[in-house]
Amino acid sequence: MALSHRCVRWIVAAVLLAAATPARAESRTYVRSWFSQAMASDDSDCPGGVNPPWADQRLKILADLGYTPQQVETMLSAEVSGRDRATINQIVRMRGRKDGQPVNPYSFPDSVTDPKLRAASGRYAYGFNLDGKGAASPNGFEDPETHEKGVNNELARALGCMREFRGTLATYPLYWDWTWGQLKGTEPAWLITVSGDDLARDGPVTVTIERALEHLRANTDGSARRDATYRIDPDPRSRNVFEGVQKSGVITAAAPAMRMLQDPLVAMEFRLSRARVRLKTMDDGTLDIMVGGYQPWGDIYYSFAAGGAGNESCSTGDMAGIYYLLRKLADAEPDATGRNAAISATYYMQALPAFSVAPGRPGVAR
Amino acid sequence: MKLVSAFVLGVMIAAPVQAAEAVRRLSADQYRNIIHDVFGASIELGGKLAPDLRLEGLSAIGAARVSITAQDMEQYDAMARSIAAQVVNEKNRRQMVGCAPASPSAPDDACTGAFLTKAGALLFRRPLTAAEKDAHVAAARAATVATGDFHRGLSFALAAMLSSPQFLFRETAATPYAKAARLSFFLWDAGPDLVLLEAAGRGELDTPKGLARQVDRMMASPRIEAGVRAFFSDNFAFDGAAVPKETSLFPKFSTRVAADAEEQTLKTVVDLLLTQKGDYRDLFTTRKTFLTPDLAAIYRVPVASDVPNGAPETWTAFEFPEGDQRMGILTQVAFTAFHSPPGRGSPTLRGKALREMVLCQKVPAPPADVKFNLVNDTSNPLYKTARKRLAAHRENPVCAGCHKIVDPLGLALENFDGAGEYRTQENGETIDTTGELDGVAFHDAAGLAKAVRDNPATPACVVNRLASYALGRVPTASEGEWVRVLGKDFAAHGYRFPDLMRAIAVSDKLNGAN
Repeated sequence: MALSHRCVRWIVAAVLLAAATPARAESRTYVRSWFSQAMASDDSDCPGGVNPPWADQRLKILADLGYTPQQVETMLSAEVSGRDRATINQIVRMRGRKDGQPVNPYSFPDSVTDPKLRAASGRYAYGFNLDGKGAASPNGFEDPETHEKGVNNELARALGCMREFRGTLATYPLYWDWTWGQLKGTEPAWLITVSGDDLARDGPVTVTIERALEHLRANTDGSARRDATYRIDPDPRSRNVFEGVQKSGVITAAAPAMRMLQDPLVAMEFRLSRARVRLKTMDDGTLDIMVGGYQPWGDIYYSFAAGGAGNESCSTGDMAGIYYLLRKLADAEPDATGRNAAISATYYMQALPAFSVAPGRPGVAR
Repeated sequence: MKLVSAFVLGVMIAAPVQAAEAVRRLSADQYRNIIHDVFGASIELGGKLAPDLRLEGLSAIGAARVSITAQDMEQYDAMARSIAAQVVNEKNRRQMVGCAPASPSAPDDACTGAFLTKAGALLFRRPLTAAEKDAHVAAARAATVATGDFHRGLSFALAAMLSSPQFLFRETAATPYAKAARLSFFLWDAGPDLVLLEAAGRGELDTPKGLARQVDRMMASPRIEAGVRAFFSDNFAFDGAAVPKETSLFPKFSTRVAADAEEQTLKTVVDLLLTQKGDYRDLFTTRKTFLTPDLAAIYRVPVASDVPNGAPETWTAFEFPEGDQRMGILTQVAFTAFHSPPGRGSPTLRGKALREMVLCQKVPAPPADVKFNLVNDTSNPLYKTARKRLAAHRENPVCAGCHKIVDPLGLALENFDGAGEYRTQENGETIDTTGELDGVAFHDAAGLAKAVRDNPATPACVVNRLASYALGRVPTASEGEWVRVLGKDFAAHGYRFPDLMRAIAVSDKLNGAN
């Protein structure tokens, strides 16, 4: 075989991509196969203990609303027996007060008193030195992988003691596992293309993150499929070009901003300012990606809140508590009132080798 | 509705009808093709036919050796009733029955007779005898009286026809209509059309010139593709059965991929042999094929369908680049994955299939007490590659004889795993794909492909196999010279497959043969 199969693949893909990506001698395309907040939970990051489970938290909500222990016990007994499964839920999902009237706390989170949930205070969090202050950055973390100090990731701090968000790169946080399960089947796949003059060597590279027209292609066991072909969505709103370098097999790149349209039923659009990426090719040919930047915390909150009481009880925990944590820890982009509108955040993605073609290009069936 | 005209029937009825001397059961495809030809493609068969028996490498031969069990008969009966009900239902009856009864609740022998005569001729591939017609009309009349519904009564008679041996079994006697049926099943994998039945009725098929005219007409029809597909489906044992794969090992493989893989090979065959009018031997070296996105992921090449999410995938012509190991149908998923067990590739099964399907060489079945432990244990650290496992297995002299014949060919395809995906290593060890075929050494799958292409047994095999397929039996010793001449002409005409089909179609072996 004159050319290895992989070589042939990359060459063919590169030719097909020529019109869609910056002109580079070599391009490799991947498709996102996992997406999660980059978490590095450990035994010491919540010294006061993690926040109570939702089952306990809602009992606290009932008490805060003035229900006596006896009343709570009576309602709980009815709920456990199945005689009345609605009363507690109804009280909790309408626990906000606006002009004296009950309102839901998901649309009106500040109608609820801050439950003062705990934030994480550990040493480690994945991320980037977004504020440019390095180790001098107030509240900066140390990245557990690069050991860079002064890493900004207040989102990890905000959610780090919520049970539903705790995890590591290998042990998926419950909320993000659920979210990815929804997103992968309902929104177009994300394509990550790395281009450079010679990707076997250190040097300048371009990383393009954009959407496909197809959803993520799945195998018979539900896992993401390697080597599948995707058509690039020509909509420029979800096309992001990062410029950077490859050094010792790790690519770091930056872009002023990043924007990807998402499935609004599950997640708001994904927006970052001062966006950074770090990519590493794994032994099996897949890609590990960290993507970070300052994210409007309203986007994050309303992605959670869109699921309402269902999300709160199954996959996020106390929604109003999260609202106050995000608002308090937001660390960038102050609005007219001086309140920060964005929070530093880093997400972890995995990606599989794939092909991408422009719609209507050779190789695409009509 | 494609039914014969009164004129045609008049001609046909005048022709002699002889008793069948030997019969072959319709294949599932032939059954479906006839129903769709006669009543239209909207008819759903509503059942599942018994799998075909494969003998001498062909179900076309097995079809002459099968009987119908009680369970088969239940299926045939259920399908017959379902089809008949669809033909006479309110939506279809005007178009498919073609006449209306004087009363919807009373017998109408004229309408019944007209319909059953027309439909029966196409279903039985010959005109009904007077006795057959009378019997079916009487059945319809009795059923109409019993049910008080003309169309329901008619459906009983039609269902009886569809369950009858005259429909389910192919006549192989030397009657003009049997000749027409042989031709149409061979060239189109379906019953004769009106033109062919008319020609049979006129005795045209009994003259070399008339026979050639009909054969050339049929060869020029787009329906020849169905005939070519049917032969290769049979020869490659594509019976649509699911090819199970262990999901954790081969997650890209699915029943849809299996169906696509069959279709890929058939599209490659049709394109090369019919569209391009190419050399049959090039099937083993062609780089041109067709892919769906699902298949392309296994081949690791970029192919997308320009269709919305969830819409059926479309096919794209694709050519593997020079130097790629994907070359010819032996390197396609339908060969490498189909001739592998669920959890691994199998040089033995692939080598055996190549010997039997492509070279027409018989490989004996393994002894009943053979132990496959060494071959099946792909995690044995002592034998990391299939070559090493088979070498250890061959130390048993009982096994060595056959494995010596099949393994070298299959080992050349070891760069393709159990799902047909390319690999260079097994258990961390580089795969050795060297081997030889009849003294021709090769280094890899592409080398094997060239060796198979240039092996004289390759074209000789397809000649023999196509003749067997047409006759429904292996040619006899006395037909050896005919087969030899077919092979010689095949070579002289540049191994053009349609020419070989034509030569068999016009031969007196097919048309006078039992």
